[in-house]
Amino acid sequence: MTAHLGTIAFVSLTALTILPAIMVVSTRNLVHAGFWMLPCLIGVAGFYALLEAHFFVVVQILIYIGAILVLIMFALMLTRDVMDPKERQTNAMGVWAGVICGLGLLASAHMLFRHPWVGVTSHPGDAHAQTVALGKALVTRYALPFEAASVLLLAALIAAIVIAKSMRPPAASVGCDGEVSGG
Amino acid sequence: MIGLPYYLVVGSILFGIGAFGTVTRRNAIAVLLSVELMLNAANLNFLAFWRFLTPAAMEPHLFVLIGLTVAAAEAAIGLAIVLNVYREYGTVNLDQIAELRG
Repeated sequence: MTAHLGTIAFVSLTALTILPAIMVVSTRNLVHAGFWMLPCLIGVAGFYALLEAHFFVVVQILIYIGAILVLIMFALMLTRDVMDPKERQTNAMGVWAGVICGLGLLASAHMLFRHPWVGVTSHPGDAHAQTVALGKALVTRYALPFEAASVLLLAALIAAIVIAKSMRPPAASVGCDGEVSGG
Repeated sequence: MIGLPYYLVVGSILFGIGAFGTVTRRNAIAVLLSVELMLNAANLNFLAFWRFLTPAAMEPHLFVLIGLTVAAAEAAIGLAIVLNVYREYGTVNLDQIAELRG
């Protein structure tokens, strides 16, 4: 019975992830593409739940949906008037890209099912134990990669502010930072 | 219980869709969305391998956490660049931004 439920959950999560993903890359209205990203990310969070990675279900929803997707939606709406939804949104490489991606998918699926995976049947710890272990690992053995990631994020945010600020000044008022974006 | 290759196939389908969108989309922000799809596929594969091959290990979680950080950094930087390009050129159509083309 549980195995049955797991299969049903897997199949419906696959549909919840793959169909919106196809819409994200194919729909002409880009704001709709941004909104189609939402069920796709929720589906991936569902896969994490199925894989018993409880901490990352929360992280996926908080960071991907709550932060990254909202940021992208802001940018989509700020530049919305540029691209007409009635205009074609893909370039001339559509057919060839589709053929190559499809062939790659078939080849990788073939190899994945042929490979004899030596799986272990043991279960990971429960949500509490996993989160405690991850938190301890982040401040003891893996403190350096954790700090490196923090510094990377800080550098990226400062760089984003600097890049977004360095606009060409309006022609009427060429000020002290007139050459910032001249190159 | 669904086995490991099924998860990996879902991950590769997601990656393939993302790669297709990255190559074919004309809008820079849509390309960023497709890149996010590919990063999600990578994270899904990391966690699938962790669950089925090494459920006691901590390292896959580290990889996924750092992958999330990189995704957030990429979104912030990418959108800053896209907004700057929009102000500079008045468009985010990648076919028209071809100043570096030789």
